[in-house]
Amino acid sequence: MREEKYAIRDTRYAIRNMIMASRQTKVSNQVLFILLLLVGGIIFIAPLSWTREFQSTFDNIFSWPLRFTTAVSLSTRAQKALPDVVSRREHNRLQNHLANVMQQLYQEHKKVEKLSGLRSRFPLEGADLVVADVIRASTGGQSEIIINRGKNDNDDLAKGQFVLGDNSIIGTISDVSSRTARVRLFTDSASKIAVKIGKLNIDRIMQGGGSNSATVRMIKHKVKTGDEVFARKKPGLLDTPMIIGKVAGCQRNKESPLLWDITVEPACNIEALNDVAVIIINPQ
Amino acid sequence: MRWFRFAVLIIVASVLQAGFLELLNFKPDLLLILLVFFAIYCKTSDAIIASFTIGFAADIIGSAMGPQIISFGLFGTALAYLHRVIAIKKIPYQSLVIFITATLTAVFAHLLTFLKLTFLEGRPTPPMIFAVLLVTSLCSALAGPFFFLPTGWWMRIKTNRLRIH
Repeated sequence: MREEKYAIRDTRYAIRNMIMASRQTKVSNQVLFILLLLVGGIIFIAPLSWTREFQSTFDNIFSWPLRFTTAVSLSTRAQKALPDVVSRREHNRLQNHLANVMQQLYQEHKKVEKLSGLRSRFPLEGADLVVADVIRASTGGQSEIIINRGKNDNDDLAKGQFVLGDNSIIGTISDVSSRTARVRLFTDSASKIAVKIGKLNIDRIMQGGGSNSATVRMIKHKVKTGDEVFARKKPGLLDTPMIIGKVAGCQRNKESPLLWDITVEPACNIEALNDVAVIIINPQ
Repeated sequence: MRWFRFAVLIIVASVLQAGFLELLNFKPDLLLILLVFFAIYCKTSDAIIASFTIGFAADIIGSAMGPQIISFGLFGTALAYLHRVIAIKKIPYQSLVIFITATLTAVFAHLLTFLKLTFLEGRPTPPMIFAVLLVTSLCSALAGPFFFLPTGWWMRIKTNRLRIH
């Protein structure tokens, strides 16, 4: 009986000692905070190309719920169309298609005039259009979207390829991972695309403005609001000029008041896109 | 602290924020609401870990990695320590705290994003739209206290009792 009592007492002491020891090794709040802040600092300093892996992994793992919740969000925003009236989105899509066809026709006319009798390939005839679903849509702050096509899909996706949304160019592929790809919209601050401004037929570089618009600077002539802006041909990436946006505003340049700065807005509602098409010229 | 439940909650909030809420014009910041919740209702050490973890999740669904983890971690920890001195129990006070925290974290995160992209990556930073920031902070402040009850139920934390650690 007495031995049992001593055994219980010894066990109790042992447990108490263990608790005391664990209390002594317990990390204080200050140390914990500094450790976590250091981890945050390392992630902060790490290059974007490394840390993008975290984001790509998240997009890969949760691509289905992300797509589903985005689709639910879009369906709640969609308005019911009146009978015999097409929706604004459909109207814009068809308008963009018409603009592209007209531009192709214009190009063809020019070629026919210059090279009458010579055969040429119809623009985009040899191109492959890879349709992809939008996993993460663009928002006011971000100027990129993520699509569900990547290296593993054997679609020949590569950096720099143009991406179509509702028949208009919306941006270029900026990064391709195993199962997803990032599309940098032409409105992104880092985006620079050679464009042709419709009726003036002027070639310029368009730079993204970051808030659903882009800017073409230093133009000699004033341009009308609503004029179409076309992405220029680019060997191996785009065979024919295609509509990229419309002129939303034209202001005098602050440094050179004789010149004009043009604000360009996308030709489609990029936020509402469910799917896009990547243009692959000369697919293997 | 039930960490498995916490992980599930953060994943669900991140997916909803990046998918469903991303396209809405008026939206609350779910991760920020959770940051305030854990800073108010958890003991300080748990609140510090939760703040940095939520910041990491916010970075994953954001544009660049790093700014949010530091911003959320700093302000979450500060709020947890503040809560030891001032009890934030009533809904209007909770709303006010969410609004202030949302504004401060967003401004600080944008500053860090600017530093990271401009000086470390050498690329331009997207402009900060103050109207969007204010609307998001306001929506979070209005909706936040109503998320506390289901969050408390899921995390098995009693939200009607003041806990001092």
